[in-house]
Amino acid sequence: MSTATASGLAQHDLLGTLLATPRPPEWADLRAAAEARLAGQGLPAAHSEDWKYTDLKALQQIAFGPAPQAKVDVSALLLPEMVGTRQVFVNGHHAPHTSCTSAVPAGVRFLPLSTASEACHALGTVGPDSASPFEDLNSARFQDGAVILVPKNLKVALPLHLLFITKAEGPVAVFPRLMVVLERGAELELVEEHHGEGTYLTAPVVEVRIAEGAILRHERVQRDDAAAFHLGTLKAEVAKGGQYHSRTLSFGARLSRQQPWVRLAEGAEASLDGLALLEGSQVADTHSFMFHAEPHGTSHQLHKCIVDGQARAIFNGQVLVAPRAQGTDAKQQSRNLLLSESARVDTKPQLEIYADDVKCSHGATVGALDPEELFYLQSRGLNADDARNLLTYGFAADVLTHVPVASLRRALRQLVMARTQAVSLGDLS
Amino acid sequence: MSSTLNVVTSQEYKYGFVTDIEADSVAPGLSEDVIRFISAKKGEPDWLLEFRLKAYRHWLTMTEPEWAKVDYPRPDFQKIVYYSAPRAKAPKYASMDEVDPELKRTFEKLGVPINEQAALAGVAVDVVFDSVSVTTTYKEKLAGVGIIFCSFSEAVKEHPELIKKYLGSVVPAADNFYAALNSAVFTDGSFVFIPKGVACPMDLSTYFRINNKESGQFERTLIVAEEGASVSYLEGCTAPQFDTNQLHAAVVELVALDNASIKYSTVQNWYAGDKNGVGGIFNFVTKRGLCKGKASHISWTQVETGSAITWKYPSCILLGDDSVGEFYSVALTNHKQQADTGTKMVHIGRNTKSTIISKGISAGDSSNSYRGLVKVQPKAEGARNFSQCDSMLIGQTSSASTFPYIEVQNRSAKVEHEATTSKIGEEQLFYFQQRGIPAEEAISMIINGFCKDVFRELPMEFAVEATKLLSLKLEGSVG
Repeated sequence: MSTATASGLAQHDLLGTLLATPRPPEWADLRAAAEARLAGQGLPAAHSEDWKYTDLKALQQIAFGPAPQAKVDVSALLLPEMVGTRQVFVNGHHAPHTSCTSAVPAGVRFLPLSTASEACHALGTVGPDSASPFEDLNSARFQDGAVILVPKNLKVALPLHLLFITKAEGPVAVFPRLMVVLERGAELELVEEHHGEGTYLTAPVVEVRIAEGAILRHERVQRDDAAAFHLGTLKAEVAKGGQYHSRTLSFGARLSRQQPWVRLAEGAEASLDGLALLEGSQVADTHSFMFHAEPHGTSHQLHKCIVDGQARAIFNGQVLVAPRAQGTDAKQQSRNLLLSESARVDTKPQLEIYADDVKCSHGATVGALDPEELFYLQSRGLNADDARNLLTYGFAADVLTHVPVASLRRALRQLVMARTQAVSLGDLS
Repeated sequence: MSSTLNVVTSQEYKYGFVTDIEADSVAPGLSEDVIRFISAKKGEPDWLLEFRLKAYRHWLTMTEPEWAKVDYPRPDFQKIVYYSAPRAKAPKYASMDEVDPELKRTFEKLGVPINEQAALAGVAVDVVFDSVSVTTTYKEKLAGVGIIFCSFSEAVKEHPELIKKYLGSVVPAADNFYAALNSAVFTDGSFVFIPKGVACPMDLSTYFRINNKESGQFERTLIVAEEGASVSYLEGCTAPQFDTNQLHAAVVELVALDNASIKYSTVQNWYAGDKNGVGGIFNFVTKRGLCKGKASHISWTQVETGSAITWKYPSCILLGDDSVGEFYSVALTNHKQQADTGTKMVHIGRNTKSTIISKGISAGDSSNSYRGLVKVQPKAEGARNFSQCDSMLIGQTSSASTFPYIEVQNRSAKVEHEATTSKIGEEQLFYFQQRGIPAEEAISMIINGFCKDVFRELPMEFAVEATKLLSLKLEGSVG
């Protein structure tokens, strides 16, 4: 189904095509509710406030079909710390032969959704009904996904590794799904990676439920193909005294959008850090929502973008402090570095505060490298290029400092070094 | 907070009275006929009538903006009286003695220095009473250096070429819903023209006052500063207490040519409605300055304390290279007031600079939002912006929001935005009280400190008034 637009380019009915595929049998209620919302809503209108800076036209010019099962080689993506704690999903389907869960501690359930029926009741219950049509599309058509359940007071020593890989011959749409439940006092480190090859749309949905006093550290790496579209949703509810810390590193995709939503109960803590490295004509959008629903919550957000070429970075960070959330402490920073003439940044940090006894602040900066800093490095013998690359690397590196898994931290640093052309400077890690 | 502070005694609106003067009004409602009536009544040339009709026709196709964080009953535009003029005894007052004594008493109560005392105050006052300019002082003195300072209607008659050249050049007739409405039905306002190289020898001032029940006010202000000229303009507002909501949709346009400088200061204290949110003015204003020339400078300073609903974004279009835009704002809301205010700084020229300092204070059940845009266009090499938006919350049921939009399309730009939210600390108050300063006075001092960066941008007499106004507005509401 396609209709001609004024520009003469064919425009495909993305929702219609994908919803025409058979509805998988499980989670019927969740899927029906999502479909009902989509029927009333459709894809975001070009000029809606929420999508003001992110144009979905390119997405609508590609006829995405359902993704078939496929085989991939993951050997290059393995991390030594997490050899036996890995689940792999390819094109939205579980890949049992490349997964390995031999080192997952007893009591922890780290399974594909298709075999973990006990997660059924929890799926789709985190957060508000829907944040975006892509989330609904995922709920309507996801094939499989991962579920992680950590029982009471269990502190998991080894990090868990999740790989979502897309391998497409023609344009396909995949819907990775993840549900993480931490029971009271549990602790977990999780690495979630997205890789791919080809032209595809991936619309992952991650749900996180953290019980009282539980702690989740969540590293998220997006290295999709340069021709891919990544439209992700993350929803986390943090109970009393719980902690949720996430760091999202975006390198790939021609268009990516991250929509994290976090609700903090009394005394809960959350951080949502981010780094986006953009070049060519990449567009990376982050729309975050930090919801301080109850008293004495603490949140921290540092979002950095390095924009080169004709790329575009968008940040819309909302912090909402509810009337009863007295004693809230919220900080938010949006820092943007422009490296080229035609790079572009649109940032909009937002504070909405309904309680009087709070400490909230946000800041945003956009600019190029400081000529004085460049001069200083050159006066110490670095050439102009090295000085520029070192400063660019330095801008990015502080987001990586606290990545807990050493091999991942090294890999990410090398990736950032390569992208900032700082490799010639030797080992900076 | 301490129980001694918990006494809520609302300050009565000091300026709530109605002057009884027979008005020359048109029946409520809006149509092309009403616009033709207004235009004919004012003896306007055809091109101006066309300007109005074009705006009106476009307005009919527009819808009211709904993006602002304000909630209010939509005005019924067919119930508004679009023209009402005090019946003049003579076409022009030769001296103050001829002015209606009732009207003079009104101004005395308001403390407007309209009579000879104005000379001592050193302020030329162009008084807008409802919709027609009543009298203008100091005109001759200003005319001596070539400055034109008169009512808008007079300017249309005497300087049509200037009006034709600049009207709608900064805020086009179809700019937004309320600007279009204003362009269709504006009745009067002020016009200022500072010729090349002239520094205006005194602050120019206008007091606006909404008087006729059901009459909306649609002022039009146009200020033009030619090459190297400079002027400081003050606008102050008070309005009588009414139960029916009143709509105010003004348009202010500023044009600064090469090296010109315009400073526009406002103290806005219109009726905000009572404690329960009944009544009060809807203040939907479009204010925009165009830094057209090289190294031109436009500065907005506002102290917003009144109105039930405020929807106002004084902006600067920085077109000329090296031009400078500034926005200094204090917005105070109390009881059920809602304000959505801020600025737009659009950097187009090279090395353009802008500064935004916004201080929001929300008390009672009020809602106070800063909404701003800093836009750096691709050609704006070396553009620089600094924004600081602080909010202070007084009372557990008030809200404060910050919505800054930052759009940067030039690498050499440097844009910084900071925002904080805080409250008056128990310890701070205790410290003051311990040194013998009563709580109310302490709060007033803390708030004045909070707003200092804005107040010091105000002309002296306005700064004094603003300081008083703030303590008055917050009296008894802290606790």
